[in-house]
Amino acid sequence: MTAPLLDVKNLSVRFPVKRRWGRQSWLYAVDDVSFEVQRGETLAIVGESGSGKTTAALGVARLVANSGGTVDLGGEDFLSLEPEALRQARAKVQVIFQDPYSSLNPRLRAEAIVREPMDSIGTLPGAQRPARVAELFEQVGLRPEQMKLFPHQFSGGQRQRIGIARALATNPELIICDEAVSALDVAVQAQILNLLRRLQRELGLTYLFISHDLGVVQHMSDHIAVMYMGKIVEYADRLSLFNDPRHPYTKALLSAVPSVDRKRKVERLLIPGDPPDPLDPPPGCRFASRCPFVEDACRAAQPPLEPVAAAHTVACIKAGH
Amino acid sequence: MMNDIPPKARSPFSEAFEMFRRNHAAVIGLVMLTFIIGIAIFGPMIYPGDPFEMVWIPFTPPGQEGYLMGTDYLGRDLLSMLIHGAKVSLTVGISAAIVTVTIGITVGALAGFYRGWVEEVLMRLTEFFQVLPTLLFSMVIVALFGATLPMITLAIGLVSWPAVARITRAEFMRIRELEYVTAARAGGVKNARLIFSVILPNALPPIIVQAALMVGSAILFEAGLSFLGLTDPNVASWGQIIGSNREYILDASYTVTVPGVAIFVTVLAISLVGDGLNDALNPKLRQR
Amino acid sequence: MKEPLLKIENLRIELALRGGQTPVIDDLSLELNAGETLSFVGESGCGKSMTALAIMGLLPEGVGSVASGRILFDGRDMARMNDTELRAIRGNEISMIFQEPMTSLNPVYTVGEQIAEVLRRHKGMNKAQAWSRATELLDAVRIPNAKSRVGDYPHQMSGGQRQRVMIAIALACSPKILIADEPTTALDVTVQAQIFDLLRDLGRETGTAIILITHDMGAVAEMADRMVVMYAGRKAEDGPVRTVIDHPRHPYTKGLISCVPHLLAELTEARPDLTEVPGIVPSLASFGDDACLFASRCDMADEQCRTSRPPEVGFGGQNSACWKANQL
Repeated sequence: MTAPLLDVKNLSVRFPVKRRWGRQSWLYAVDDVSFEVQRGETLAIVGESGSGKTTAALGVARLVANSGGTVDLGGEDFLSLEPEALRQARAKVQVIFQDPYSSLNPRLRAEAIVREPMDSIGTLPGAQRPARVAELFEQVGLRPEQMKLFPHQFSGGQRQRIGIARALATNPELIICDEAVSALDVAVQAQILNLLRRLQRELGLTYLFISHDLGVVQHMSDHIAVMYMGKIVEYADRLSLFNDPRHPYTKALLSAVPSVDRKRKVERLLIPGDPPDPLDPPPGCRFASRCPFVEDACRAAQPPLEPVAAAHTVACIKAGH
Repeated sequence: MMNDIPPKARSPFSEAFEMFRRNHAAVIGLVMLTFIIGIAIFGPMIYPGDPFEMVWIPFTPPGQEGYLMGTDYLGRDLLSMLIHGAKVSLTVGISAAIVTVTIGITVGALAGFYRGWVEEVLMRLTEFFQVLPTLLFSMVIVALFGATLPMITLAIGLVSWPAVARITRAEFMRIRELEYVTAARAGGVKNARLIFSVILPNALPPIIVQAALMVGSAILFEAGLSFLGLTDPNVASWGQIIGSNREYILDASYTVTVPGVAIFVTVLAISLVGDGLNDALNPKLRQR
Repeated sequence: MKEPLLKIENLRIELALRGGQTPVIDDLSLELNAGETLSFVGESGCGKSMTALAIMGLLPEGVGSVASGRILFDGRDMARMNDTELRAIRGNEISMIFQEPMTSLNPVYTVGEQIAEVLRRHKGMNKAQAWSRATELLDAVRIPNAKSRVGDYPHQMSGGQRQRVMIAIALACSPKILIADEPTTALDVTVQAQIFDLLRDLGRETGTAIILITHDMGAVAEMADRMVVMYAGRKAEDGPVRTVIDHPRHPYTKGLISCVPHLLAELTEARPDLTEVPGIVPSLASFGDDACLFASRCDMADEQCRTSRPPEVGFGGQNSACWKANQL
């Protein structure tokens, strides 16, 4: 078993919240989360708003300050690098963002946007950069005459292609796709998903794919981690998760997605209400207040992630049944 | 496969210029301003002469004896003083705006980008300068360092920068949360470059508008100071003309109203241009 | 056969743009029967929201206008009504809920007040009656502890709850038609399931017809009886939901259904690439062309498709605007 490209252990990200005079509270957006991704594969992190999936991804990329844990990227701990070493290491981890309208600097031409990481980190000699930019444009399906245009002259899907080209500029090993297709129309979404998969095959890329769309996740991922209120509640490979979900939250999530496939007869597991206050999480299982299968033991202590099948762990004391 | 894309790149700047062009009031303002600037630069060549030279009988009404604007209480040619004054007023206006914007952007950018204690300190500094009584403070500067144009420019700049600092800070706070800034950080861009090359160019629109309007208010401010006599007596500015002739407002009102109209027209032109810039630059802001 | 509740005939809506009057909806005809759920499906810019706004008489003033066609509601042409007549219908006989629950509610009034306002205006209730009815409505939309929540402000509620409040306001006067414009797009999928469930149940209980505007084919399959597929301001296809989804007769519909990775009943290792619909939607300027606007993206397109606009052809209850409809 080869070592994974990305090995995250006990990652936590917290934000300070001022409550009353002097009393400092912390909001744990990501609470002691661990996962790994093999080279060339895709790990999807799934969850709804407030689950912490985006914060976890940004924490891995060190774009938000973390408060604990290690991120082992190809042998070195990304989180403990010094500023200058960090800047150089950023070449290995790039991000594709969600909003095609705010993820590109409106004052730069498309080619300048794609060049920016190369110029900042210096992965390629200056003279070779224009050719690389042209090559990247072609790889993502844009035409060379579009290089000189400004972002507002492109459609949403095309802007996302520019974002992908920018992410590829430094020849990264790991690309974090933060809801990369969520803001696109379905026809364009299909184009971009196919592009992402093609690039993964051709360039041997590894993806950390953040999404709330289970259909897309089913299509793109090899392994999936389901997050709820900052913690991973289920962690399995693709077939296992979708054919045999074990955590009540995962089951509810899967049953909630409407589908055109008539053969998919899933009984809707409606979970009432909203998640509890993230500033004051309950001592036991965080899903207890909405879980249809809750019992007293659930509220006593947080269930740990336990294996229930091959490559399938669940944080639920009732998952074995 | 791809639908037609205009091969011609249109930068946000050229789009704004297009919008400005279609705004009739703004274009009129720009034409007026160009005319006034033209007078300031070329006037002394076309109409040479020392504005302080006493050329005729005092209080000659406009239009008589070949003096288009008449003469003032000392018999000086008003038209000559107006033309030379244009250069002074515009120079002071633009210089003061530059001082204001330089200080304001520096303070605002650092406060908005770094937050934390840097922001606290800089914001207290901003508030300090904001609550200073503007006229009194300028008078103090002038009294201490002499009533020369550079000092007056500095004085105006020192009391006006807080407004620009606030706008800059607000823009920086907004823009630094946008995804393209995070993308730049993910691409390894250093902080200094983030501030000056990534965020600042996108923060400029409201700052530019404020700077344009600042030129107008600086001219008015200088006119006010000159009116009170707090100006370089060797320099003929419009405010100084009004100030030195103020006792004769009832007898020879034209000595006061003519330079007054000059100030009015100039500041109006600047305001029209400033408003036009606002409309041209801000719709782009909304799209972001 | 019973007269349809809402009948749109050859509707053409134009937008006043720099280049002149451009059609944003072009020759649209459709029907809505009492008590049924009709879905408008399409991507952004296809005109589905514009159609809803046109029905309500809420087109952006001075910019969008009805150029021709009729919107017949209960026999009256809404496109020709004045503002007073429309205001009597809005919120009363036809209601609308929008996509963003964060901004659709007025932040400075309590939710109770916002529901009561509609009741007072259209049903002439006094303050006490309206308030008590508002509490009942909050209960009907499944907000727990309705009595204590009715005095809450919007910011004290979650996104899903705010959307329920919007539904309560929309249904307060028992309208004949409820237009829901992407009501769940901004909500989490578990909340979306709750809202769809609620809409379905309420629709059945009250007999309100629902127009569901969405881009999500799955939602259409679950919620709607009939659907209208729109593309670039024109109707591409319409018909009963099951028929259209199982056997689409327009290449765009086919592409729209097959390009989305749907959750499958039984998942296997196989992961073929998604069917792509290449290219992008044409620009607004070409919306008036006498051609099939989908031709540039269609692999079945020929000279006829590019030079003349396809007429509607019928296949039982299903209609398609495609020269090649019978080949699909």
